[in-house]
Amino acid sequence: MLVYTVRRVLGAIPVLLLASVLTFVLIDLSGDPLADLRVMQPPPDPEVIQLQSERLYLDRSMPERYWLWMTGVGGNGDIGLLQGKFGPSTQSATYDIGANIAERLGVTLRLVGAAMVFALGLAILTGVVSAMRQYSKLDYTLTFVGFLALAMPTFWFAGIVQQAGVSFNELVGTQFFATVGDGTYQAQGLSPWGRFTNALAYMTLPTIVLMLTSFASWSRYQRTSMLEVLNSDYVRLARAKGLPNRVVVRRHALRTALIPLTTVVAVGMAAIIDGTVLTERVFQWRGLGEFFIQAVTANDSFALMAWLMLSGTTVILANLIADLLYGVLDPRIRYE
Amino acid sequence: MTATDATNREREGTVDRDDVVLEVDDLSVTFESDDGPLRAVREVSYVLRAGEALGIVGESGSGKSVTSMAIMGLLPRNARVSGSARLLGQQIVGLTDAQISKVRGEKIAMIFQDPLTSLNPVYTVGYQIAEAVLAHRNVSKAKAMERALALLELVGIPHPEQRLRQYPHELSGGMRQRVVIAIAMANEPDVIIADEPTTALDVTVQAQVLEALNAARRETGAALVLITHDLGVVAGNVDRVAVMYGGRIVESGPVEEVFYRPRMPYALGLLGSLPRLDADRSERLTPITGTPPSLNAMPAGCSFAPRCPMARQLCHEEEPLLLGVDEHGERVSTAVAHPATHSAACHFSADLGESSPADLFSPGEEVSGESDTVESVGGGGAGEEAAPDLAGDEPILTVTDLVKNFPIRSKGLLRRKIGEVQAVSGISLELRERETLALVGESGCGKSTTARLLLQLIQRTSGEVHYQGQPLHALTPRQMRPLRRDLQLVFQDPFASLDPRMTVADIIAEPLRIHREGNGSARRRVGELLELVGLDPEHGSRYPHEFSGGQRQRIGVARALSLNPRVLVLDEPVSALDVSIQAGVINLLEDLQEELGLSYLFVSHDLSVVRHIADRVAVMYLGRIVETGTTDQLFGAPAHPYTQALISAIPLPDPVKERTRERIIVTGDVPSPADPPSGCRFRTRCPKFANELSDEERIRCVEEPPELEERGSGHRDACHYSEVVELI
Repeated sequence: MLVYTVRRVLGAIPVLLLASVLTFVLIDLSGDPLADLRVMQPPPDPEVIQLQSERLYLDRSMPERYWLWMTGVGGNGDIGLLQGKFGPSTQSATYDIGANIAERLGVTLRLVGAAMVFALGLAILTGVVSAMRQYSKLDYTLTFVGFLALAMPTFWFAGIVQQAGVSFNELVGTQFFATVGDGTYQAQGLSPWGRFTNALAYMTLPTIVLMLTSFASWSRYQRTSMLEVLNSDYVRLARAKGLPNRVVVRRHALRTALIPLTTVVAVGMAAIIDGTVLTERVFQWRGLGEFFIQAVTANDSFALMAWLMLSGTTVILANLIADLLYGVLDPRIRYE
Repeated sequence: MTATDATNREREGTVDRDDVVLEVDDLSVTFESDDGPLRAVREVSYVLRAGEALGIVGESGSGKSVTSMAIMGLLPRNARVSGSARLLGQQIVGLTDAQISKVRGEKIAMIFQDPLTSLNPVYTVGYQIAEAVLAHRNVSKAKAMERALALLELVGIPHPEQRLRQYPHELSGGMRQRVVIAIAMANEPDVIIADEPTTALDVTVQAQVLEALNAARRETGAALVLITHDLGVVAGNVDRVAVMYGGRIVESGPVEEVFYRPRMPYALGLLGSLPRLDADRSERLTPITGTPPSLNAMPAGCSFAPRCPMARQLCHEEEPLLLGVDEHGERVSTAVAHPATHSAACHFSADLGESSPADLFSPGEEVSGESDTVESVGGGGAGEEAAPDLAGDEPILTVTDLVKNFPIRSKGLLRRKIGEVQAVSGISLELRERETLALVGESGCGKSTTARLLLQLIQRTSGEVHYQGQPLHALTPRQMRPLRRDLQLVFQDPFASLDPRMTVADIIAEPLRIHREGNGSARRRVGELLELVGLDPEHGSRYPHEFSGGQRQRIGVARALSLNPRVLVLDEPVSALDVSIQAGVINLLEDLQEELGLSYLFVSHDLSVVRHIADRVAVMYLGRIVETGTTDQLFGAPAHPYTQALISAIPLPDPVKERTRERIIVTGDVPSPADPPSGCRFRTRCPKFANELSDEERIRCVEEPPELEERGSGHRDACHYSEVVELI
């Protein structure tokens, strides 16, 4: 198991390296960070442009810049991923990309974590129920809901949910759901219980939006995988042994039906990260999604690269965890 | 004791019902489907006594498995079960899931067909056996594990302590089936239902597993219901047998009675369509015409009537009851409870007398219409004037020292080669014109790989293949292409080898199109070919799913024949077919060979079929040929211990012969071809090596790989100490 883990971790390194090259090249080729400055009216002093260009290392060649970005060797001390520095920002000379990310990471993780937990829990529950009551009214209803959720575009659905929250608040006459902001500021100085209800008010709606697509697709996977297992010979043998139904379902069917879901969830991480950008935008959370939009608008290439590297690493990490989990869940993988 | 004695005794009221463990009465199963209700099982009744073994025989779709699943309460929700099944007096049909789970595994246990999928891959073997104990016994986990260990020992698994902690994928198929048997025995049930327990296994392993099953029965005293399509397995392992057809029991009685004096034409037909090791090879098989009825189109009267040569008006109108025949030839009601009762569901069972299958199912009358009207189609050209039944001396295809190693690669990024699977390790063959050469062996012996190598479908590692003097191994794919028309292949699985989205005519015409032949005349050619393989030429516009397995295999043969090949490589062409269908395809192949002058390389694991169809046989074991000779030499005087073991492991469909004949039992499983034993590859399982040889003699087996040469038996074998044994 240890050898397997080490091998998997080592295997992730070249993937990360490749991701960094792709990220760098794509962003570097996608536009001039100083484009806004250059077309400014009245035209700024060429010296200003020159200075900015040097500050952003635009005067160096591309391979040199990549080297700088990775190691920071030969830079001004504000760059070098391996040293934990993300590079200078176009937004201002004092804007610290790393500090900004760190600040927003917590906000986004809160949302992503809650969405994943609920999506996964609900997906497993509905998938199992659907499979066990195959072709029943309940199954058809859940299937319908699932496909509806899959078909719903996030930005549109987010707007609707937000609007529904506002209407609900008006209906009951209190501020039941908070529909704007992430609530970090409001939580300051509250008791633990107060923090909890505050978080609940702010998080409920965005979590529903973010989990919806993932829940729908995972629940379909879970249903299929559960159906396959329920019809398998070993579940039949488990019944033939005389195990009661709930033991058969829990111990023999569910346990094995969960294995394929780990991969699906890991792959689904990318979709969730995508989802945060839109969800945070609609609900005006100051999270990483917002950070991304800000970076795009400001042509801030180092900030964009930082965001891409972070989400890339997350996805690779998620897959790594899924791989390792697979090894734990399925003994057939372990020894190979 | 005869059935009439039995009826008399029944009338006298001497039948003792106390030892009845399972009494199935009037059991029917109906599946709700979109096409309306499907009556899969109808009015099945039987009685099983303590310690008794009952065989249930039937072809696929006869309802034999569904009956047992209904008794176990394991059918899906859309099944409706009626009738009764009493287990030790307790009614178990209609119990709730909670109630029946107390019975399952405790009083009645089941063994399923496929050992590779019967065990949960994520739990250890020990856990899964202990689980069965814990389901019914209030004991500690440690005690349950102890019991699991004892059970593994009992079913003959070596190193049981170690095996307990292993996962199913670490065990071979035969081992896993023994684990399933151990699970079935865990609570010493009164009844074990074994549903095709050895069908997925190789013959030598089948013998071991049947032995484990019998050991289990001796230990627990359980009665056995053995469900199988294999008449040989039934003959050797049960006391009474019930034959199922179209969802009903159509004949039942003591095994000798049913095998030697069948009273139902279907049973007689089944016996006649079976190629047997102990029969005259030159005799033609007598297939049953037509196909078993489909559940949504059951015939009105006797469900066998449409295929029955004896059928009269009455048969098509009225379904016959399961009755016995008394001393006056009258059909009378008999007690299903009595062990000696022989009854049959045939209006005219009394007329069947002692007919032989050939008398009844005379071969000329096949519905498939394999008539002799082939002249117009022939076109094979080769040797039309040669005597049809004599194989030529000219080798048409020669194989010399053929080797194929598949690399094993590491899982890492570099995928380094870390070993080799030695699939084929230097074999030489000669296929002569108009001859059938059979390549026989168990799974993993390299026979299918050899077939593919011959056709250049995979790259050889070394060695040579010559077709009519041309070195196939040295040709480029482009050079090979025109020769492909001479060398064609028929696959094992008639369901997977036909594209479901093409019509049958397109499937058969495809080779013509590829070889740019028969423009315009393709349609006519397809019609000829369909007729040639015994199908209706009108059916060319249908799709494969509209045909039965046997018909599909005929389509596969037609496709292979479309380019007038000279050599057909047949890779297990009849293994996926039911017995009654298989016979028709075998006869077809024999006819085609005679009429078109074909040469066959017949790859098979089934020695009975091989003995029937082949002129010469080569037996393979772990990538090597261990013995080769003419069919008569090989079966009459097998010299290699492996051949002997194979022959003796084939169950004979004859209760007396099967129980009395000499057996050479092979132990263990086939070693991995990635790491074959040194010297003689068979020595690790060889009964001669284990029991007869002295230590000095063994050294030679370990160190020196035996050459394939003549050692006094008249044919070649690869055993240093070969010795002819007569087995049939």
